[in-house]
Amino acid sequence: MASLSESAVKLKGVAKRYSDIVAVDYIDLDVKRGEIFGLLGPNGSGKSTTLKIILGLVKPDSGSVNVLGINVEEDPVAVKRQVGYVPESPRLYEFLTGIEYLDFVGDVYGMNAAEKKERINEYLEALELEGREGDMISGYSQGMKQKTILISGFIHKPKLLLLDEPLSSLDPRSARIIKDLLHELASQGVTTIMSTHVLEIAQAMCNHIAIMYEGRLLALGNMEELRQKARLPGSDLEDIFLKLTGTEDVKDVVEALLK
Amino acid sequence: MNWKTVLRLISVDVKSGRLVRGRKVRRYRERRFFQYLLYGGACALGVAVGLLVGIFYGGIPDLETKIILYDGAILLFLSLPTLVLIYSLIFTLMSQIQRGGMKSSIQPPYWMPITWEEHTLASTLANLLGFSLASIISIGSAIAVASVFLKIVPLAIFVIPSLLASAFLASTTTEIFRVLQIRLIGAVYKSSGKAAVWVRFIGSLIFFVAFYIVWFAFTSGASVAAIGTVVGAQNAVWFVPYVWLGMALAAFTEGLLAHTIIFSLASLLFILILFYVAVRLNGKFGLYEPPAITISRGAYVPKTGLLRKLGFSSLEAAVMKKDFRAFTRRRELMYIFIMPLVFMLMPLMQYLGALGQSPSTEASPFLFAWILLMPGALMAVMLGNMIVGQEGGSVWYLYSSPITANGLVKCKYTFIIIFSCIVTIACSIVGILVAHPSLNFAVASFVESLLLIFALGAVSLGAGIIGADFVEIPRPKMIRPLTALVNVIVCFVLALVILAPLIPYAVTTIGIPLPLPMVDLYVALPISVIIAIIITYIFYKKAIKDAKEFLAKAEV
Repeated sequence: MASLSESAVKLKGVAKRYSDIVAVDYIDLDVKRGEIFGLLGPNGSGKSTTLKIILGLVKPDSGSVNVLGINVEEDPVAVKRQVGYVPESPRLYEFLTGIEYLDFVGDVYGMNAAEKKERINEYLEALELEGREGDMISGYSQGMKQKTILISGFIHKPKLLLLDEPLSSLDPRSARIIKDLLHELASQGVTTIMSTHVLEIAQAMCNHIAIMYEGRLLALGNMEELRQKARLPGSDLEDIFLKLTGTEDVKDVVEALLK
Repeated sequence: MNWKTVLRLISVDVKSGRLVRGRKVRRYRERRFFQYLLYGGACALGVAVGLLVGIFYGGIPDLETKIILYDGAILLFLSLPTLVLIYSLIFTLMSQIQRGGMKSSIQPPYWMPITWEEHTLASTLANLLGFSLASIISIGSAIAVASVFLKIVPLAIFVIPSLLASAFLASTTTEIFRVLQIRLIGAVYKSSGKAAVWVRFIGSLIFFVAFYIVWFAFTSGASVAAIGTVVGAQNAVWFVPYVWLGMALAAFTEGLLAHTIIFSLASLLFILILFYVAVRLNGKFGLYEPPAITISRGAYVPKTGLLRKLGFSSLEAAVMKKDFRAFTRRRELMYIFIMPLVFMLMPLMQYLGALGQSPSTEASPFLFAWILLMPGALMAVMLGNMIVGQEGGSVWYLYSSPITANGLVKCKYTFIIIFSCIVTIACSIVGILVAHPSLNFAVASFVESLLLIFALGAVSLGAGIIGADFVEIPRPKMIRPLTALVNVIVCFVLALVILAPLIPYAVTTIGIPLPLPMVDLYVALPISVIIAIIITYIFYKKAIKDAKEFLAKAEV
């Protein structure tokens, strides 16, 4: 098992702009191996862009990105080989069946036939997709598509998981399986960086949490450190988040809407 | 019916064109001037044509010629409603076919307080916008202006609304066809089980080939003949409601008032009935979702596959396998197989006299060269242009997968070559059976077609990478139009360069005496091979360079 003190992902002074919009504003991150790391923030705060920068899908304007000891800019393909990526509401190849899609993913990551068969069948059974795996994905429900994309992120045994809203559209049983699986994988040294809007999940699952706002890193730490930063002892992540992001005027907004 | 809702729905449809044009939608402002430029331009063109006709007609001194021209104009006016009907039907059907792949573009916002009448009317009218409406405006304004000079203004006043009614009739028919085909597809999926995907493929292939042959026949010389025969044909099939508008016009010119009124009212009634049917069908099947296609049942057994044995990596083989499934399962990609088929069938049908023209017997070698060179080369160009852009919204997977630029180009290029070569081999067999060429001519044509495939495939793949467009709504674009246009021009020039050494030989074989230095076939062919290899090498390397940039700038 990898040492927990070893960095899995290291971002240093990373910035990204899209013309006049600042997507990521000079952030530093150090995610340790075997950690479940939560990226939180309101819509448009730069979470998804940060995940894409880590994978090498978006080239930062400045700063350096190191993933599993590899410089992303120098060798993005080597990084991609070791990462399982689940984007938010992705488009799948809808003309493939579920099994064809997973077989395709297995081939892309160079899995051998026996390993592919075993792992695909295990996941299909666990997430209750058995019986529908021969159907074209175009006929799947949103939840089934999410299960398929999650399986595709896991089957090649990646060392780093980048998950953007992984539990959206999942039924409670499948969501629980994924949560338990992430914990188990973390104990085996697999690192997970997860972006989510469901604060209860982040609070329950993540070792460390980063709160982003307008591309900046507002706060970073475990729950206790975040409480101290927000000066809200004993409170939950939702209150901390609302206070730190300056959106605690929820009550006033609701009252205004009800007028 | 709330007319404001209908107008709003139409404007939404018009705005979907922003995505087709690939403009940035952030802080988007529609420039009304450009929005209406097409229609303004069509009107101006129509007025200019009308004026030219009028001035030309006025300047004819000979009375007999004037009468012939006048009769011709009347004949044209009478045939216009039926011609516009056929033309609009083809255009609206084409537009629906292009949108067919995207569910979201045809699904009405059913959760909003919109009635099926409003939705159907908006959909029918929106379908006419663009070139259909522009051409009606153009024809209408030309008629209006020319009629003043020809002194047939009352007929023109009757013709212009008839054209609009014909277009609406066509669009309503298309709307009915669209709803029915969705329901029919569902029934086919359900009944054909695992074979559904192949039933769909072959069915679409037959439908599209027939459709495009009719289209090409209509837009080629056959349409000129059609104008002359439409009026006669209208009288023969007077019981078909689609020609009643033309019949009303014919009756009007003959001064048969009762017939004019009866046919006009019957046409109106027919339009209303068709619209009612479209509304009812939309109400019944508008939200119908075809059942999922089940392709495989039973235990999953991974296969090694031929491509792995041929030395491709598992990733490259996986991408090629995936692309094969895309081109045989996605309806919007199937026309890649249709165009080469049409390009082979059209000259063949002309040769065999199947298009109502006299069969040609002299141009056999030319026919053979055309059948062999065109479909395969065309397929290589089209596939090269589309093969990266067809990834659409799913391209994120390609970006996030550990694929290298070399691997991407290798698997996409191999796919283009395999499919284009299959087409060329099939075409050679047909060509040999029909045209019986000499051995030398057959071998030379076959080698040249392979050279074109390899060279133009590499050129077009590079263009497909640079110009890839992943926008899928309201229809998949796959490549930016300007890049596609430039690529076609470059391919045409390069094809000429590759074929140049053989042109004197080919021309002599066909039997045209040309003052060109004759190069022996055994010398000309190797020169052509060398040129093709150089072009292929340069453009393949360029495609790899383009792919490196493409993967590095993967901003999804």
